[in-house]
Amino acid sequence: MIRDAGTPRHGQFPTALRFSLRNQTRNRMAAILLVAFVPTWYLLMMAMVPHTPLSFRLFATGALQRVDGRELTYITAGLNALSLIVGFAIFAAVRRTLAFDRRLVSAGYQQRALIGAKSVAAALVASAVAIYAALVLLVFWRPEPVGWLAIVAGFVVVATTYGAFGLLLGVLVKDDLEGFFLIIMVGLFDTFLQNPVGNPLANKPVLRYFPSFGPTQFAVGGAFGHQGLWGYLLFGLAWAAGFAAAGLIIFRARTRVSTVRGEGEASIAREPRDRTRSA
Amino acid sequence: MSSREGSEGWAVSATGLEKSYGRRRVLRGVDLRVPPSSMVAVVGENGAGKSTLLRILAGTLGADAGVVRVAGSIGYCPQVPVLNDNLTVDQHLAYFAAAYRLRSSDRARQLVADLAFGTYRGRVAGDLSGGTRQKLNLTLALMHDPSVLLLDEPYQGFDWETYLRFWDLVDDLRNRGTAIVVISHLVFEESRFDALYDLVDGSASRRMPAKVTSS
Repeated sequence: MIRDAGTPRHGQFPTALRFSLRNQTRNRMAAILLVAFVPTWYLLMMAMVPHTPLSFRLFATGALQRVDGRELTYITAGLNALSLIVGFAIFAAVRRTLAFDRRLVSAGYQQRALIGAKSVAAALVASAVAIYAALVLLVFWRPEPVGWLAIVAGFVVVATTYGAFGLLLGVLVKDDLEGFFLIIMVGLFDTFLQNPVGNPLANKPVLRYFPSFGPTQFAVGGAFGHQGLWGYLLFGLAWAAGFAAAGLIIFRARTRVSTVRGEGEASIAREPRDRTRSA
Repeated sequence: MSSREGSEGWAVSATGLEKSYGRRRVLRGVDLRVPPSSMVAVVGENGAGKSTLLRILAGTLGADAGVVRVAGSIGYCPQVPVLNDNLTVDQHLAYFAAAYRLRSSDRARQLVADLAFGTYRGRVAGDLSGGTRQKLNLTLALMHDPSVLLLDEPYQGFDWETYLRFWDLVDDLRNRGTAIVVISHLVFEESRFDALYDLVDGSASRRMPAKVTSS
């Protein structure tokens, strides 16, 4: 028997990370959305929203900030596009590989290596897409460098949050359509409601509990008020962490193998759940 | 060969396996024993619970009652190929080499050559034909030279030449000590197997040799 048990040629985590990223980057639909949808979305906002001054409530100070309606809309449009694209991309990737991941685990893959790789890959993809959306924004509007960096941070956090939301739906829902519908509805409501241009309810305290609230506050505070509202950015990250934790716990349960794996050629006894009759 | 026997010398020993889906009782106390260096077939009609039984043996599904003992490593080949459509054949081999903690992928490459799909090594699984997907599916179950091999309708979609190569591979493994369980709704060449079990009404009964030769 030529079983090469021993030191693996490549570690499980780096291998899983490499292939998780590879799997993400081969999503053609997400790539098309990225190249076509993001600039088109900004272009539409430019055509539709005038430079009217608006009042935007910064909850950190309680003050109403006077902002340019179009520039504010660029920020919320970017957040909206990111919630859809990243949510969709991660959802599709996680959902389509769930059975394959289960097979890897039953072949001996450590769940923690797969879970770690999936999380890191999702965070990397979300950050890359967020930075891309922030770069495209510069074609339409040039905020001050510090303001732009605040927008980048807000974008990264929203993308990460919706990436984690996509991961959660990917292990939870039974059907592609259910997942897409939930991402679109949640993403649309969440990011649309933050902007006073489209929503008379914006600036209301209830919005505080929405996932994109923190990153929106951080991006707007940085871009228009030159304030670093770090607590709000962390609030957004808490949403991301919550979604990711729930998703990964379900992923762990759904890829679990009931075999207790012994080392080498040891005998394996499995006692299935519930009533057990001994052999 | 080091000792690969589990309890009482069996490579696979399943006792009293029960499984229900809701109110439908699929397995009602299945007993199955497979010694090392042997190949058994479990035959049954569609919906008889063959795949359920194999998944319980493989550990990917829990039983409601009963005990399974498996000696050594398991290779499990599911009926419908479970692959990642975005990864190439070579990437699949590298992924499973990491899963099995293999130091080299020589054996996997040999299997790819034996099953004659080396020309597709750079292609993503989503672009492969049904037969080639099945070959890759099988390779992933064999590449670590398992002590126990569980095959669910393994030769569906194979052309004649591949079908013959498949039997060469499996016979070779058996001669080297592997215990093999094949499940199928149809068994054409009963003489290839050391034992046949019929899965009927939720329990497995061994087909008598006289019946094997007469059919």
